Amino acid sequence: MTAKLLLRYSPEALDKPILARVIRQTSAEINILHAELDATKGEILVGVEAPPAEIEKLMYLLKKNGIDAKKLERAVELDENSCLDCGACLSLCPTGALHTKKDYSVRLDEDKCILCEVCIPACPVRAIKITKF
Amino acid sequence: MVTKTYEGINQRIREGEAVVVTAEEFVEIARERGAKRAAKEVDVVTTGTFGAMCSSGAFLNFGHADPPIKLGGGEIYLNDVPAYTGLAAVDTYIGVTSLSTTKGMEYGGGHVIEDLVRGKEITLRGSGYGTDCYPRKEIETTITIHDLNQAVLCSPRNAYQRYNAATNSRDETLFTYMGTLLPNFGNVTFSGAGVLSPLGRDPNYETIGVGARIFLGGAQGYIGWEGTQHNPTKGFGTVLVIGDLKEMDPRYLRGCTIHRYGTSLYIGLGIPIPLLNERIAEAAAVGEEQIKVNLLDYGAPRRDRPVVREVTYAELRSGKVEVHGREVPTSPLSSFKLSREVAQKLKEWIQRGEFFLSAPVELLSRDSAFKPMKQIAEVPLVREIMTKPVITGLPDEPIARAAKIFAEHNFDHLPITDKQEKLLGIVTSWDVAIATGTKKKKLSEIMTKKVVVANEDEPVDAVARRLQQHGISGLPVTNTKGEVVGIVTTEDISKLVGRRRK
Repeated sequence: MTAKLLLRYSPEALDKPILARVIRQTSAEINILHAELDATKGEILVGVEAPPAEIEKLMYLLKKNGIDAKKLERAVELDENSCLDCGACLSLCPTGALHTKKDYSVRLDEDKCILCEVCIPACPVRAIKITKF
Repeated sequence: MVTKTYEGINQRIREGEAVVVTAEEFVEIARERGAKRAAKEVDVVTTGTFGAMCSSGAFLNFGHADPPIKLGGGEIYLNDVPAYTGLAAVDTYIGVTSLSTTKGMEYGGGHVIEDLVRGKEITLRGSGYGTDCYPRKEIETTITIHDLNQAVLCSPRNAYQRYNAATNSRDETLFTYMGTLLPNFGNVTFSGAGVLSPLGRDPNYETIGVGARIFLGGAQGYIGWEGTQHNPTKGFGTVLVIGDLKEMDPRYLRGCTIHRYGTSLYIGLGIPIPLLNERIAEAAAVGEEQIKVNLLDYGAPRRDRPVVREVTYAELRSGKVEVHGREVPTSPLSSFKLSREVAQKLKEWIQRGEFFLSAPVELLSRDSAFKPMKQIAEVPLVREIMTKPVITGLPDEPIARAAKIFAEHNFDHLPITDKQEKLLGIVTSWDVAIATGTKKKKLSEIMTKKVVVANEDEPVDAVARRLQQHGISGLPVTNTKGEVVGIVTTEDISKLVGRRRK
């Protein structure tokens, strides 16, 4: 099973190697999709490949170490058939998940998406939708 | 010297000999071989744009019901979207920005037009006042585009030659016709097809005018007149276009919603530019790095928005532009991919001998200017109605001082500043009331730090809207240096309304 977890660090947790510690205690394969860290807060989006029980364990361990771990139950989907390739969404996307190809068609890299959802109402033809996992 | 005629070019089209290239291709050809040689080799340059065009709509004729009804002077709703009824009994005009009475901005006139072109069923609801010749008062039926006698796309203003780019200096997100503008110059949006822009390729309008045949919504249409707000002296020309909606393709007509602004219609539009002489070829060879527009600050709610800087379409298209020393991401609002497709399709029509050029009977005007609205009363500015001088507090002062000020002066807002009068926060009489009985002592402990402010040069209407949106009763007024120079309250504004009514 693949899950996306959003990990929010408090300022106190920022200087501790929590993620490394937790990874060593589980068999879950973790891929960092997006990370934003500064002096006041930290946010890491990870993709996890593991059986459900292992994901639960991972979340338990993260929470025990003071990290607010949230499983993202939704995904964003770009309907390429109704998309106009206008690009209204491009400059609103904080991670570059929405991007253009060489021929100026707009594409969504779902792995980079952090589900901020700013693009959804901004799409003039409602081509970007939230779907449940 | 190259000189060509419409007849000559059409003859070559008929014979399958005409050399047709898109504007993008022509710029490259001219770069390699020079515009003069390119003028000799190329007959027609095709252009294309695909953008939201709000001044658009369609004339529809329903035919008569039995017993007949006079909808003119009554009401017409198409899928709950109100259509114009100031025409004869069963004619109407559906404008793309008209909003559904049930779905609001999610569905509007632009969507009705797209659904018509898709052949979908549309609910027609109408009423009339009843006359001797039109006794019926109400009607409800469903129609498709095939049931209509005429369905004519007729837009008073389409295909802006170029368009100023937009950004936002305010500390809140703005929702505009230029899309979502993030706070603090967080992004830049722009519109228009740059090098492919139809009017931009013939900026002196030597081939563009009344009666010129064009690509409109996937069908052949015409330029009917100069567009409203046509502003040739500033390089912002526009055209009125007309064409048969029944022939159009929904790929090139898409209803849309601009978030918290309204509905509109994306239209694919392309104009063929015949290279009659070298001058026309030279103008058509201009690259995107030479097409300049202003980047305007939509944070200022005025007609004449401040210019942040000048930008080229090449910069805008690259995805990033520099604003105050920082790289800011850009969003095109027009689809360059579909603009390209329109120019390509028009090129293929001409190459296949399915589309012939028509010489305009009159060219677009080149010397008119676009005037602002005549207003009989100026909207007052904040500085004219604000209370000044304003009493301010320091963050370390005791809460009791605010209470004393409120009681003595009969007002409810105390801006908190540093010693240089720079705004830090605001304390209201309500903050003081709820602080009683708590351990809080200093003003800094109870002040609201994220303060909504007004600028002294803003029109009062913009500030009234801000007060309403934030559900607050007063705003500190700052000058350009961020110093507090006054305070404006709902009371100041109501006094003004009272004055206007006198």
